[in-house]
Amino acid sequence: MSDTRSIRSDTTAPWALLCVVVALIYVFSLGPILITAAVSFNETNRSLFPPRGWSLRWWTRAFGPEWTQALVFSLKLSTLTAVLSTTLALPLAFALHRYRFPGREAMIALALGPLMLPTLVTGVGLLQMFQYAGLRDHIGFGALLAGHLVICLPFAVRTVSISLQTLPPNVELAAASLGATRWNTLRHVVFPLIKNGLVAGAVFAFIHSFTDVNLSLFLATPGEQPITVKILAFLEFGFAPTLAAVSVITLVLPLVLVAVVERISGLGDFIYGERRA
Amino acid sequence: MSEDRSARTPTPWLLLALPAAVLLVFFVLPNALLLSASFLKTEAQQLTNQPTLDNYKFLLTRPLYLEVMLRTLVVGLCVGALDVLLGFPLAYFLVRTKSRWKGLLIALSLAPLLASVIVRTYGWYIILNRFGVVNDALLGLGAIEDRISFMPSTGAIIIGLAHALLPYAVLTIMGSLGGINPNLEKAAMSLGANRTRTFLSVVLPLSVPGVVGGFILVFSIAISAYATPAILGGPATQVAATAIYNFMINLLDWSAGAALAVILIVSSLLLLYAAARMGASRAAL
Repeated sequence: MSDTRSIRSDTTAPWALLCVVVALIYVFSLGPILITAAVSFNETNRSLFPPRGWSLRWWTRAFGPEWTQALVFSLKLSTLTAVLSTTLALPLAFALHRYRFPGREAMIALALGPLMLPTLVTGVGLLQMFQYAGLRDHIGFGALLAGHLVICLPFAVRTVSISLQTLPPNVELAAASLGATRWNTLRHVVFPLIKNGLVAGAVFAFIHSFTDVNLSLFLATPGEQPITVKILAFLEFGFAPTLAAVSVITLVLPLVLVAVVERISGLGDFIYGERRA
Repeated sequence: MSEDRSARTPTPWLLLALPAAVLLVFFVLPNALLLSASFLKTEAQQLTNQPTLDNYKFLLTRPLYLEVMLRTLVVGLCVGALDVLLGFPLAYFLVRTKSRWKGLLIALSLAPLLASVIVRTYGWYIILNRFGVVNDALLGLGAIEDRISFMPSTGAIIIGLAHALLPYAVLTIMGSLGGINPNLEKAAMSLGANRTRTFLSVVLPLSVPGVVGGFILVFSIAISAYATPAILGGPATQVAATAIYNFMINLLDWSAGAALAVILIVSSLLLLYAAARMGASRAAL
């Protein structure tokens, strides 16, 4: 008893110090984001903090057609990217999980490759490829979708793989021995068990796509650009509070998405890369 | 169980055909084209078919581009070191805390990942610019008489990137700290080691894979980051990513841009390889 007490008194002081340090790190981490949010309520047309006066006019502008158009473009692009990359990730992860075949290691490297190479480089390469193909004037949504699909695929593959690994080992055999066809086994046994993994994969892909700048930078056109690229382009002309308001909108959307999905199916399990059994 | 049963059936390749095709066309091919362009000559803003090593010579002999590469390296090293230093205490706290707000605290520490780098950098502009928060505060305190330009500068790029990439370090380090059995610490202390000794000889050595993994991950994202250096740096403080963009979009010098991109890829792959040899944890990927 006296032993535990001595350990505890030994630990309180460093622990209290750690808590102070951690509090400061949270200020460092969240402060600039909160400051950006505060700046969007400025009365003046400059990004001043603390805000001078209170006004909602920058928010009215942020919800004007110019910005909502880019936002809708981003939402379309990221949603389609999330759906398509999960659709491609499912057979890919399933084949890698279920079969041992020559070339499997190479396939894993290929599937995770876009994580190893800087996204910016893939963007430049794609731009060059479209240029070679004579499609330089036709980049925009299609080119962006191809690029986003490729850079988001590893996130979906990893998440789906993790959920496949947690399948109880004999469920498929059990279903088969009870007379289920392969298709019925997949549809009624495997699919429901990995559904959460698919949703989580789609969410990670969506967020990676929605927050991307490095790839979109090269494939966007003035008429067809994701909201991040548009904000960046406008920042060159100055830091108007409208941009702060738009930035906050682009932060709130993924936040709401994650909160909703976490409520329904749980995302936390997939963050560390290995699911708690 | 049924793992190698159909090594000879074509089923895996039927499943893999479409995803593999997408990756080959939109990932492997563009990167291969980029690699080849780095060995070709650009004339009058058009890529020609003449093979050459001049692009690399050009980049490796011009002081401007040597400076760009050096700055990129320094930024990567500083950001990696800062994020490991800041990420470690936070990760340790999050893994060990018994607070009932633990879930919320973890969510808050990772929340910045949901924001685009642009959102994460905007705040630093507001803080660091000539009429920003820091200048106002220093003026108010009477510490300075004239406003100081904290940005554009390499220092501003480092702070901005360290802020933007901190969650990656936290996530990787948490992964390795989470795997350490808390009983090991109790055992060390019951054998007479004090808190500091326990930390230095038990916790720290066991967390090395996470720390190295976090450093490498942050480093490799930092050296290829575009938005933060573009906002907090400027034409005078270019890094690799902004220089590549400039080559490709403004100067239309495809070969030099491609060569710089190849240098960036090679350095980041070498680093990943070294890290894998050192057994670094890649949990955050």
